[in-house]
Amino acid sequence: MAPTRAIRPATTVAAALCTGALLATSACGGGSGSDSDTIVIGYSGPLSGGAAAYGKNIQSGLQLAIGDLNDAGVTVDGQEYRVQLQSLDDQYAPDAAATNAQRLAEQDDAAVVFIPHAGGIQAAQELNSSRTEFLLGAYSSDPKIVEQGNELTMMIPPSFESYAKPFVDKLTEDGQTRLGLLGTASEYGQEWTKLVSDEWNSRGGQVLTDNSIDYATVSDFAGPVSRTLAENPDVIFLGGPSQPTAVIIEEARRQGYEGSFLIMDQAKFEEMEKFTDPENLNDSIGVKPVRDYDDPGTDDLIDSYAEEVTKERPVTSEVALNYQAAAIVVTAMQVAGTIDDPTAIREALPDALGQVDDRFHVSGFPTEITDAGHLRNADLEAAYRTPEGEYEYLSIDQPDE
Amino acid sequence: MTLFIQQLFDGLALGGVYCLAAIGLTLIFGVLRIPNLAHGALYMLGAYVTYFFLVTVGVPYVAAIGLAAVVLALLGVLMERLVFHPLRNAPHTHHMIAAVGAMFFFQAVAQALWGADFRRMESPISGSVTILGAQISWQRIVIVGTAVVVLGLLTWFVKRSIHGQTIEAIEQDRTGSSLVGISPSRVSMLTFGLAAALATVAAGLVAPINLLSPTMGDALSLKVFAIIILGGLGSLPGAVVGGFALALAEVMTSTYVSAAAGEGIAFVVIVLVLAIRPTGLFARAVQR
Amino acid sequence: MTTTFSPQRIGTVLVALALLAAPLTLGGEEYVLRVLTVGATYAIAVYGMNLILGLTGQLSLAHGGFFGIGVYVVGLLTTDYHWAFWPSLAVAVVATAVGGYVAGVVALRTHEEYFAIFTMAMGFIIFLVISRWESVTHAHSGVSGVKFPEGFGAVDFSEPIVMYYLVLVFLLGAAYVTYAVRRSGIGRTLVAIRTSEDLARSIGVNVGLNKQLAFAASTTLAGLGGGLFAAVQGFVGPSAAGIDLTFEMLMFILVGGLGTVLGPVVGTFLVLFLFEFFQDFEAYRFLVLGPIIVVLVIFAPRGIVGYLNQFVGRVRSRRANGSRNPGRPHDDRKAESTTDVKEAL
Repeated sequence: MAPTRAIRPATTVAAALCTGALLATSACGGGSGSDSDTIVIGYSGPLSGGAAAYGKNIQSGLQLAIGDLNDAGVTVDGQEYRVQLQSLDDQYAPDAAATNAQRLAEQDDAAVVFIPHAGGIQAAQELNSSRTEFLLGAYSSDPKIVEQGNELTMMIPPSFESYAKPFVDKLTEDGQTRLGLLGTASEYGQEWTKLVSDEWNSRGGQVLTDNSIDYATVSDFAGPVSRTLAENPDVIFLGGPSQPTAVIIEEARRQGYEGSFLIMDQAKFEEMEKFTDPENLNDSIGVKPVRDYDDPGTDDLIDSYAEEVTKERPVTSEVALNYQAAAIVVTAMQVAGTIDDPTAIREALPDALGQVDDRFHVSGFPTEITDAGHLRNADLEAAYRTPEGEYEYLSIDQPDE
Repeated sequence: MTLFIQQLFDGLALGGVYCLAAIGLTLIFGVLRIPNLAHGALYMLGAYVTYFFLVTVGVPYVAAIGLAAVVLALLGVLMERLVFHPLRNAPHTHHMIAAVGAMFFFQAVAQALWGADFRRMESPISGSVTILGAQISWQRIVIVGTAVVVLGLLTWFVKRSIHGQTIEAIEQDRTGSSLVGISPSRVSMLTFGLAAALATVAAGLVAPINLLSPTMGDALSLKVFAIIILGGLGSLPGAVVGGFALALAEVMTSTYVSAAAGEGIAFVVIVLVLAIRPTGLFARAVQR
Repeated sequence: MTTTFSPQRIGTVLVALALLAAPLTLGGEEYVLRVLTVGATYAIAVYGMNLILGLTGQLSLAHGGFFGIGVYVVGLLTTDYHWAFWPSLAVAVVATAVGGYVAGVVALRTHEEYFAIFTMAMGFIIFLVISRWESVTHAHSGVSGVKFPEGFGAVDFSEPIVMYYLVLVFLLGAAYVTYAVRRSGIGRTLVAIRTSEDLARSIGVNVGLNKQLAFAASTTLAGLGGGLFAAVQGFVGPSAAGIDLTFEMLMFILVGGLGTVLGPVVGTFLVLFLFEFFQDFEAYRFLVLGPIIVVLVIFAPRGIVGYLNQFVGRVRSRRANGSRNPGRPHDDRKAESTTDVKEAL
């Protein structure tokens, strides 16, 4: 039974070759969707870990659009294609997102890769500007993602800079001067906090202590809320994922706060209404709920989302804007007559906007794309929920880019 | 002053949660010398199972927590058998990584069963009371009260009951205990079951004032380690004192220094305490 | 003894050859090259962990934090301060060496679990500082546009393959350091300390100094790996300093084989490719990966390299017993844990 001499080195070789063997397997593992009649759209987002709900929401927006595109039929340069979504999990980590994007572009031949977080977008921009070419579908309202002049980036949502001024305008109408800060301590929350504080200071208002907390790790919101309230703010800035935002608002009302809330764009009214008594949300300003758009495709998307994804959650702009964006890039492929040239697809985007089927017009369909690659809708609106619980819509002047 | 009172009560409520979670961890450490990094994941599962009984099945709140504690106790025993028992002679590095593997698995299970999005669990205990100008919700008072009662019962169990005394015996002298007929294996299972049940009670109490998500245990996990180190690994009174001390330190630092400092204070305290007393505040003769 | 053609040597040479040849077999698959390059930067840091954990038996959970310091020193110096890469990397290495030595003075007063938790707290504080000190580190916004190393002559490090070989050179250096330390008097001193501090002290070993040096060496390798990681990525965020990273590294080392020379590199690449391979499961990949990790730890507690070494050692001692007298004793079966270094590669 003693192993022969020949086996021993061979066993050691096995370990040594683990690296090599895994190279081969991983190389085979990925390339599932590169048949000649398939268009692969890549997506790298947080599908597990703390931000998984967000990542899945965006994934479902892309997936619904692709389903509808396939139903209608996609023809590029005379050839019929099926569109397919290839998703990879990055757990919100920038380096994982970049690795995924490269994998999607090289192994799945995806000409377009969607990434929904500013860190991942910037990490991927280090790649797509040099060797591995792909058009980056960037879902982040942080304007710095198009400020660095990356030529293959398409920024999907409105810049959050558009919101700060009209939000502050509205909430200082009645002479409010004290702003409490209770945002989430994420990358995005920090940028927002800075922006709102600057805007508030520029009108001579008083910005109180920054009580930003990490919404994901705090066990009890009562402490931070009472700290904020102790300074008697007239307006509280807050916002992170909708659900904890709703709980914090509820806690503030419970502790007797009667002022206004300035809610950053990550939190959505329609989701918060499901998590707390909607009355708590009165006298707040935030982004416009998707259901209140009357674009041609709005109702259909709401129905298909309820049917195919979940009835428990409403459609939010995360779903809707990515739904629109997927249709835009596929239309751009049709206009450009190519499914694999990211530069040509990027150049076809301005023309493609006018040619996207009406059904994909859901929530403020973009009317233009800036030279830097930002999709913009000229009639952007914010939503103010009055003290009586009615929604009012205010049009927003967007800054020039 | 009102703010101080408010923060004091919030700190006590948080301390109650920390204690309940920390005691389980310190018991496991005392008996098995395992730094169970998956403890936060058990806490998270405890919250979801409570949610399942309360919302999906529809039993009353207290019964839901009780049933969930039983389910989690069984899961804790299972985990001890499948993961830690085979590793009983391995160094603690291996326990840590095995626990990380288990944690990944539990989070994936919760996401597969309940989805990645936040869930809210309503408790029947609503309303609040005003004490010295501070608004204290009944839920938080219940948290502190439950923590005290559970701690009392646990102390009685460990000191007075036959099964509980076996835990203490094993903690003190593993070999000696086996000689007098105490089965270390059975005590290990008992400890894991008890720890998971306590974590579930903590989770069931705190879930109504927060939200459920598959990663809700992550932040707690690290803090609870801070607590039991502070109190001295394996020490029950240490875990209690450490839990309340750390919660109050956290709340007060956030209030009077900054929110970011509050987040880090637990770890600064550990570094300071261990720099001065390398074996924690309530150090005991450590069994080898 | 068969020193020239021992299976261990063959294994070492094969791993080295596989790493050297890997990029040539990829045929333009730069994604795999990227995973390899990033993996190699991690592996350098994992060698650092191997030094302190494998040789002294102390588990340092601040390792991700020191990796992060390396990442951010290079990241910030090459962008905000317009330094060149090489001096930045030198600063990163010196900073983590000094930082590790100073931290070691306090940290090494504690032992075992206390040391592990103490260093975990240190790591977490480093992470908090990086992720919240906005005016210096840009907090969650991260650092973009980190420079590639400056090339010389025809060597251009913006070419991924050239960058890979650069990282590989450092990786081989890290492996060699481990090997050299193990064979040297320092290595034996450290093992003596691990076995019994009191005994070591009684024979005149300066226990504190030796442990501090080992700790500083381990954080230095973490800083070096981090500095290279920043250049490979181009964009870095606070997750490069996180506690999760520490546990990932610990996983690499346990799967590969603790205290061995080849373990860190084999473990790192194996686990990373396992993670990549299971990407197709998307959100459910940890349903599979979680149990795999547990099973590996239970059934291969010495790690893959450790397991193979044990196997080789056993066969060899059997052969030696069958012939004349063994040159060295190979009683691996008696060794009680994976921290056995005696016969490891």
